[in-house]
Amino acid sequence: MSFPPALLELLVLCLGLALLLVESFTEKQDRTLLAYIGMVGLGVIFLILQLLPPGPTGMASYVFDPVAIFFKKFVVLTTIIVLIMSVDYATTIQRFVPGISSQAGLGEFFAIPILTCAGMMWMASAIDFILIFVSLELVTISFYVLVAFMRRNASSLEAGVKYLILSAFSTGFFAYGAAWIFGVTGNTNLVRIQQVLPALGAENYSAILFGALLVLVGLGFKIAAAPFQFWVPDVYQGAPTPITAFLSVGSKAVGFIVLLRVVQAFQSLPPVGDKVVAALIILAAATLIYGNLAALPQTNLKRLLAYSSIGHAGYLLMAVAGISARDSGQAVVIYLAAYLLMTLLSFLILIIVSNYADGDEIVNFNGLSQRSPLLAFGLLVAMMSLAGVPFTAGFLGKFLVFKVAYESQQFVLLALGIITVGCGFYYYLKVVRAMYWQSAASNGATIPVSGLSFATIVLLVLFTFLLGIFPQMATGLLR
Amino acid sequence: MVQDYLPILLQVIVAIGFAGVALLASVVLGRVGRRNPTKDSAYECGMIAKGEPQPRFSVKFYLVAMLFILFDIELVFMYPWAVAYRDYIATYNAWTIFGSMFGFVFILMVGFVYAIKKGALDWKR
Repeated sequence: MSFPPALLELLVLCLGLALLLVESFTEKQDRTLLAYIGMVGLGVIFLILQLLPPGPTGMASYVFDPVAIFFKKFVVLTTIIVLIMSVDYATTIQRFVPGISSQAGLGEFFAIPILTCAGMMWMASAIDFILIFVSLELVTISFYVLVAFMRRNASSLEAGVKYLILSAFSTGFFAYGAAWIFGVTGNTNLVRIQQVLPALGAENYSAILFGALLVLVGLGFKIAAAPFQFWVPDVYQGAPTPITAFLSVGSKAVGFIVLLRVVQAFQSLPPVGDKVVAALIILAAATLIYGNLAALPQTNLKRLLAYSSIGHAGYLLMAVAGISARDSGQAVVIYLAAYLLMTLLSFLILIIVSNYADGDEIVNFNGLSQRSPLLAFGLLVAMMSLAGVPFTAGFLGKFLVFKVAYESQQFVLLALGIITVGCGFYYYLKVVRAMYWQSAASNGATIPVSGLSFATIVLLVLFTFLLGIFPQMATGLLR
Repeated sequence: MVQDYLPILLQVIVAIGFAGVALLASVVLGRVGRRNPTKDSAYECGMIAKGEPQPRFSVKFYLVAMLFILFDIELVFMYPWAVAYRDYIATYNAWTIFGSMFGFVFILMVGFVYAIKKGALDWKR
């Protein structure tokens, strides 16, 4: 097979650019067509990824290993589902974007996520600080546009400004940390850094640790780990809902792959590597406690999901902190796969219901089981999986994370994790209670669901169960 | 080595000191003498001040400024590329360096076409 894997990102980039050009040259065409073209194009990319075997790429800063392939498939799939959500969300976008035609701005709303996807795919393969930095910028800059997209909506603009300032701030931390590491090791390539580190003298340890911690802070912002999480609730609530889903799934996942690769590189120097792991443990503990406790009093589902996304970052950090255990990377991957299924499922249903009810409070879900049994069941499965009920994908993810914590002897973290899962049950089941035990306040009409969204919901529910019942399926993800 | 920074410290002290003294002096001297409405009006080089302190610009100005910066930075990247070009093709494959710049300019060109089609340079709209 002579297909160079690095071409995939370029293809995705060209797809996004082509959509932008089509958008600017056709004026009367229905804009949702662009979203469908994007979905089909990304579907083709997904198939190519399925066929390509991992192997050497001949490039120093770009790898094509099983982890990179998994994350590439992950972000392509996420982008496809985000596009499906965006089609459902189009009416809300049209309401808040002024323009000459009624569909002004929609084409860009469908094209820019594809550019973000290209950036995320690059991040999945990047093992050089410079490539990581550039692809990170491609991701965040396109997110600046997307978060503030509804420019007649004050909360979307507020979210955009907050995201802009804090993202730029965290990128600064990341670049500064990379500069320190470069200053000590003379390398920006993570593989080379890993080789050079053991030969360093003890006088360099504090400098290299400083650099590593700065990089950790920069990535902490991206993956929404406490204490760098304060931007999350407002940005997630203000952004257009499909973009919130994209941020909480895609952006977080690529943050974690970079984190895994960076932490792995520093393990070759135990005096520094151990301190980095200690910092990760503190981050994980703070994130678990903050994310789960702050989610308890929430009454808005979108905001609740934002806090839940912080909480899940805590569990993922637990797995990264157990890097000494053999299955640490695998636990992160499987947890993220489960996280993709359940989070996108809940956001998809949130969009459909809030479009209809004109609000994303939990109250809007009252009596949903009588009005639309399918949507209620889908959200029930998503909430069960997020809480970690057995036979759902979320349970498998949590089980593997706790196993890693046990094997690497992080017993305090393990105890914290189990306690916070208990918190999770309370706030996730609050939504279930509203849907099944409260009666609807106003109209009891069935909520219309488009065929594409219906199929997506069914597939996501199916895979949530499949992954939970047949865990051996998950190990195939990393082949 | 630390002594080398003494002049900088001195300069900082002088800067802060001068600002403090100037502010203090204006407050102290302002209390002396009689006041009247003309004296209390904003000082504007003999002209009577009118209008808002920050007049509003058409958003087109910002649009043009943004596009200018975008294509200005493009040229900033092109200079080092052009300088390194001859040395690079002597040892490496010429298509790599040519293709990189071609891709970069192509992406910018898409942006340029998009901006023109959207009427970003159309001042009448």
